[in-house]
Amino acid sequence: MIEIGGQPLFLLPFGDIVIYFTPFTLTLFILALVFTILVIISKPERQIDIVFGGDAYLAKEISISEMKFRRFMAIACGLASMGAMVTGDIFDFALFTSAVGICNVGIVAAVKSRHVQNAAYQYGLVAMSATVPLFAGAAIVAATTGTLSILELALPGATKVPLVVKALLTLGVMGEGMAPFYAAKAEMFRAPGAPYVIMCSLSSLLIFLRVIEVVLTV
Amino acid sequence: MIISRISRFISDFDNLLALFAGACAVLAVLFVLFLPLPYSEDQLYPKEIDESSPLYPYDRGGSPFERADIHVQYPENSPFAGYVTAYLTPFSLALSRLTPHAGTTIVAHPGGILDEILYNTRGLDTVVETTILFIAFAIGSYLFRKGS
Repeated sequence: MIEIGGQPLFLLPFGDIVIYFTPFTLTLFILALVFTILVIISKPERQIDIVFGGDAYLAKEISISEMKFRRFMAIACGLASMGAMVTGDIFDFALFTSAVGICNVGIVAAVKSRHVQNAAYQYGLVAMSATVPLFAGAAIVAATTGTLSILELALPGATKVPLVVKALLTLGVMGEGMAPFYAAKAEMFRAPGAPYVIMCSLSSLLIFLRVIEVVLTV
Repeated sequence: MIISRISRFISDFDNLLALFAGACAVLAVLFVLFLPLPYSEDQLYPKEIDESSPLYPYDRGGSPFERADIHVQYPENSPFAGYVTAYLTPFSLALSRLTPHAGTTIVAHPGGILDEILYNTRGLDTVVETTILFIAFAIGSYLFRKGS
């Protein structure tokens, strides 16, 4: 714990689930918080396509209700990533991560571009199937060590989580956040509505950074 | 040369699911090689199954409105743990005495599934799970209404 995340500055207990703020998790938490506030207060972009080789351009009109829904999903995604950044429990982390995954699909679910919809569909399938290794990893952590608390697992005398279980957790987060395979994400970015769609990218980056900390700690 | 070929394959999002499935398959093989994994006898959340109970598979021991000992990771965070371990309402308690199917009825609706997670000491889990359900409902209903 001390080597990677630093000493916990503040503990917030919810029964067995203890939320902890180390310099590492606090930094990620503040990043998610700042971006969520930006999403709340900023106005969405109006995307303009310029016709190549000519001087024509097309402004894309998006209805207010669609933007409202997308902002709602982006805020929910921000809250879920904030929770995933600071939670001190493996199962809770898996839950927050799958919330991030479903919010990412929700942000682009209402886009009217067929291309974006296809990408979001593929991404949704991967995010859905990624819950299997993610929650299997969390369950096997409980079975092999008897506990789920990251703080307990980080203690020197605690039972170590097997390497392959860590790999399961990481693969689950990779599927949820799509961290190394940005192809689908990049296609999803073609959706208009700048601050909201960028939440997809930021949240997946954050959960990937966090799972690295979790895997190195336990 | 090989890198450009790989990046061309990855850049097509139709291949994404195949890529992820391949990664899952590789990890599944690795996982089988790592078997058997040790089972820790000192489980924080033990579970016993009593198939003769009318509350099966919902029964987790303890009797309603009485104190039970439940395992807690941080006892100081849950000073009242154990008092609500059998959190049946009087109605469902009466129902469980009348019929042998009360447990399956509880499990058959969504709240019962959510309650499979231990109740008192892991409350945040229950909240996050319902949040995920609500988000899924929100997306589904929005897409459904958008079509009309």
